[in-house]
Amino acid sequence: MKHPDRFTCEETFRRLDDFLDRELGAAEMARVREHLETCAACAREFSFEASVLEGVKRKVRNIDLPVDVRARVTAALRKERGSGAG
Amino acid sequence: MGPCQKMSASIPPKSRYHGATEGAERSVTALDAVAFDAQLLTQLPPAYGYALRLMRNKADAEDLVQEAALLACRGSQTFEAGTNFKAWFFRILVRCFHARHRTAKRRPETVELDDTPDVYLYGNFIRSGLPSADPAGALIDRLGTERVGEAIQALPTEYGLVCTLYFMEDLPYHEIADVLDIPVGTVRSRLHRGRKMLQKALWQAALEAGVISALIHEQEQRT
Repeated sequence: MKHPDRFTCEETFRRLDDFLDRELGAAEMARVREHLETCAACAREFSFEASVLEGVKRKVRNIDLPVDVRARVTAALRKERGSGAG
Repeated sequence: MGPCQKMSASIPPKSRYHGATEGAERSVTALDAVAFDAQLLTQLPPAYGYALRLMRNKADAEDLVQEAALLACRGSQTFEAGTNFKAWFFRILVRCFHARHRTAKRRPETVELDDTPDVYLYGNFIRSGLPSADPAGALIDRLGTERVGEAIQALPTEYGLVCTLYFMEDLPYHEIADVLDIPVGTVRSRLHRGRKMLQKALWQAALEAGVISALIHEQEQRT
């Protein structure tokens, strides 16, 4: 019998993205967590998705700013202001 | 009026988001040029990273960032005190991208969406008999930065804009909405579909790169 205060697997799964992105309210976050603590199948799926998201984030964050870009922008801003001063 | 106070049609209106970031507490109207530049320069690395994902090559990304920086300078009066400087600058960057993209139209805009199930990668891992405990280590790391980046870049523009901000900057939905000037609900739906498309692309890339066959082989060796 379904407990009225607990999310089903379907209700939990519908909130997968928002849960992983911390976009749910506190009460819903707690109810999803509660379900995951008692449902190994959902917990595996959520853990898998979280791992993929974190893995992708780690990969795409490692972009360094080329040294000359900073210099180019600084020079452009200086020129912009300089041309307006006269 | 100096050139850095000139208004531009490409400057977005004041940011709706009021979650100020560190260093963005004062109005730019109260900042001198040095202080404004200091704020702007701190945003160049993330802006370049975003531009590189959008433009796909370094030269265009550099040009886009410089163009956005100049427009930000010219439109500095539109920055509102207490709002998020980063979101404000990224909005300018996105507008510059759109202006170029309307002319260039370089990426495919159609994609098969509806046949991609949720948790696509998870399903494929299970069907292939692969261990699902550490997919990032098993698949994402082996694919490497370049292939993962290419998979995001290959997303249709409207999904790529949202997903790149999400994955690169880890922004909450409301900040992505603010940068892109779209409703939060649209961010949510595009992110959901974008993730599905990305998972499908990552699986395909892993197949083509031999990552899946290597994983299956390793799994067979273990059992």
